[in-house]
Order: sequence, then C-alpha cells, then structure tokens
Amino acid sequence: MGIVALMTVLMSLLIMDGMVDDWGRLSGGLDNLVVFFHQSLWPPDWSVIEPQAYPVCTAHPALDFTCSTAWIGMIETLKIAFVSTVFGMIISLPFSLLAARNLNPRWISYPSRFILSASRSLPSIIWAIFFVILVGFGPLSGTLAMTVYTVGYLGKLQYESIEGMSKTPLYASDAMGLSKFETAVNVVIPECANDLISHAIFMFEYNFRHGTIIGIVGAGGIGYYINLYLKFLQYDKVIAYLIIIFFVVIILDMISIYARSFFNEEGDSSSPSWFGVFVPEILTSGLRRLRGQ
Amino acid sequence: MTGEDLAVKDGEHGPIIRLHNIVIGYESEDPLVKIPNLEISPGEIVAIAGPSGVGKTTLLRTIAGLVKPLSGTVEVCGKVNPSLPSRGEVGYVPQRLGLIRHASVMHNVMLGANAGHKPHWYFPPSSTAKEHALEAISSMGLMDKIEEPVRRLSGGQQRRVATARALAQSPKLIMADEFLSELDEGTMQTVLASVIDYVRSSSAALLVVEHDISRAKSMADRLLVIDDGRVNPFITETTAMEVKV
Repeated sequence: MGIVALMTVLMSLLIMDGMVDDWGRLSGGLDNLVVFFHQSLWPPDWSVIEPQAYPVCTAHPALDFTCSTAWIGMIETLKIAFVSTVFGMIISLPFSLLAARNLNPRWISYPSRFILSASRSLPSIIWAIFFVILVGFGPLSGTLAMTVYTVGYLGKLQYESIEGMSKTPLYASDAMGLSKFETAVNVVIPECANDLISHAIFMFEYNFRHGTIIGIVGAGGIGYYINLYLKFLQYDKVIAYLIIIFFVVIILDMISIYARSFFNEEGDSSSPSWFGVFVPEILTSGLRRLRGQ
Repeated sequence: MTGEDLAVKDGEHGPIIRLHNIVIGYESEDPLVKIPNLEISPGEIVAIAGPSGVGKTTLLRTIAGLVKPLSGTVEVCGKVNPSLPSRGEVGYVPQRLGLIRHASVMHNVMLGANAGHKPHWYFPPSSTAKEHALEAISSMGLMDKIEEPVRRLSGGQQRRVATARALAQSPKLIMADEFLSELDEGTMQTVLASVIDYVRSSSAALLVVEHDISRAKSMADRLLVIDDGRVNPFITETTAMEVKV
C-alpha cells in the first residue's frame, strides 16, 4: 500500500512537471502576489456594506447595512441556494428511488442513474450560462441552474444511501406483499430519513458556495457584484466581498454541522457544541480530563 | 422416514403450505436441505429446530418467496412457486426483525395492518387497519410505547413489535424466526399465547424456527428437526417429541 501511494505521488509530480513549462513562474508569482496584495487588495473597501445611494434606504440606521450591495447579494445567493436545494430534493427523490439497485431491476435503475449523471455532468456555472441564454439574466436562471445540478448531485447521494440500507426491512415488506410504492414511501424513506436530511443540509451549504460565483455569468447573487468590480479593476471591493463570503460560509458550515448532528444515530455521535466546533479535539479532550470526565 | 409421513391429512381446507421434492439453498453445488414432502394445515403450529447454519432461515425465506428453491415445488396459500406472497397472506417475523428503526412502533405495525386490511396501496387509510394495529400492539403489551421510535426499544420489545406487525396483518400464515429470543419468561408466555390464540381462532398456520428444541417442543403441534450436515440432509419428524399444545 505504501509503495502504491509513493508511486502515485511520483506519477503526479511527473505529470505536473510535464504540464509546467517554466517553474520559475512559481517564484515570480509569489512576488507578484505580494505587490498585488499591497497595491490593489489591501485594505478592503468596506463601502460594500454601506447603503447604496439608490434606491434610498428606509431601514433603521442601525440596520442600514441591509441596503448594501453585500447584504442584498448575499441574501439573494442564500435564496437561490435554498430554493434550488428544496426543489432539487423534491425532483431528485423519485429518481433516486428508481435508481436504487436494491429496489428496482437494471432496466429501471440504469436509465434513472443516467439521468442523474447527466444533470450533474456539467458544473452549475455552465448550467447557469445555459439558463441565462434561455431565460435571461437574474436569479431565476441561477435558481434553475442550481436546481438541475442539485438533482444530479443530491440524487446520487440519495440512491447510495438507499442502496446502503439494511435489506431486512425490504424482505419483510416483500413478504407482506406491499407494493413498490408503499415500500418506497413507508419503508425506504423513513429508514433512510436521517441520511436524506443530512444530505439535503449539506447540499444547501454546497449550493451557497457555488451560488456565490454563478452571478459572474449573470445568474444573480453576490457574484454579480464581484464580477462588476472585477471588470472595473476595483479589487479592494472584490476582496471585501470575498471576506464576507468566507465568514458566511464558515457560519453556514457550523450551522450545517449542528443541524446534521440531530440526524445521526443516537450513540454514534453526540451533538457537537459550539465550543467543540472552534477548539481542536486535542484541547477539548485535555479539558475533559482536567474536569475528570 | 419417508416424505408421506410429513404430509397431513387434509380436512375441509387445503394445506397452507405444501412443499414437494424441493431442494433449498443458494447454490446448486451446495444444497442445504432436501424435503421430499411437507404439508402444513390451517390451525397447525409447526416448529423447525436444528443447529445454526443448517438452513432453517433459508427454508423460511424460500417459503416466503424471497429465495427461489433450487428445484421442486413450493405452494403457499394455493399459489404454486409464487415469486412473492400475495398481499397480506404471509406474516413474516425475520430473525433480524426488519423493523424501520427510525419510525415509531405504530408506523411499523401499520405496515402489516395495511398489508392485511387495505386491498391496494392507493386506497385511502383504513380504520379497520388501524383497529387491528392497535389490537396487535395491545396484545404485545406495547401501548405505552406506541409513538416511541423503535431504535429506542430494547431487543425484546423490538421483537414484540415485529410480532405485532405480523399479527396486525391477520395473515393466513405466520412465519417466525426465533421470535421468542430476548424475551423474559413471563413476556414469552404472553406473546406465545397471543400468537397461538390467533392461529387457533382464525385457522391460520404458524411455522416457527427455533434453535431451542425444548422450547420448540413446548409450543408446537409438530416438531421437525433438520439434521446437521449440509450434504443431502432430510427433514425428520421426531414423533416421540410430539406435544399437543
């Protein structure tokens, strides 16, 4: 196993060496980054969280950041991610039930898998370009794009969970003479519910991260503003948006971990605390020993 | 012991189970059990005993239609070699129970009740099914756990839920694989009494797999012992151990 790992690493280095014609560019790139950072990126321009001049902001002064492009863009991205996750799950669930090999013969499961593969074969940004052409600029095209991708990605996670479920409830269901529909709705979905919900929460977080860039092609969200200021070479505003995205993704990730903890098997893991999320395990275990737990 | 000895004289009704010249197993090169002839009549309780691995569970699965026999004929409730039993006819309590662990006791038992009392999946919810489900849960002494997720119950309680699911179906045939395991003596007697009461009153049949021969003796009208050994074993009927329940 160790030799295989070593060979894999060596092969990767050889391939990379073949792709790079001039390694000197790497060291030159670092110098460029330092210059770029000091001249263009830093400090960030926090005017992105100030209210826009137009339309006039009617919010309370303490909440005037809600009229800023950062807030508006972020909320739009969250909405796109949420709606596409919900609709994606509604559409993907029947396909994933059909695609599961433990529920259906090959002539049903393979075409269903093909459909799910096809819908995730293109990244969501490519789907966004397609839908921008189809329905025009704005969050609708972004939502449609992310929904299509969600169907494929979430569908795969779902049918893999379904195929991993215990066979015995299916045996009991078959012996009782229940129909395929009843088995799917009353046996499979309840048995796999924890996994299905956990995957959906993960998908929402994933969609938000990818939703931040689909605006670059005009499909709505905070990516629109990032693309706008990139074109105007206002990188200090761009870095401000990226820092905001970074923190929102961190918060969403923590919420996702916490929410998913409710859908784990009891006894397999306990719900994580906020403390445990921030502090490395090596420190938390030490603290527990000091407390005598 | 010949195959005819295992057949039971029919009364007014045909046998619930009729096995003829069947060979059971997963691979033809390695058959588990050969049965020349076996019939089980309505109202009869038959126990199958034997050590682990001889094919007891495989026999139940074959009768349930979950495993195809390597050869021979399986007739269940009048249907010959069915791919799967008809809706609600067979109440199966697998060794591993087959419960939906994240669903409640009521949800699990309603599966059986709907199988037995709702003719088709697209029919609206049936009050008859719900009544049978509640009756079965009550007979198993689980009314106080009715909304509890099954995963929070003990092994013995889960076993009772699986038995309630089978009873709620009001099936013609109950097949139970070690359904009295993990039960204390008092609970075991209660569960057994409920199942036997149902079998006798509705002329259903009960086929039980039990590794404990003494327990099998005490509950069954007939006891069939599968001999150890995987090559050409025969079901033998030990008439000396027949006990009338």
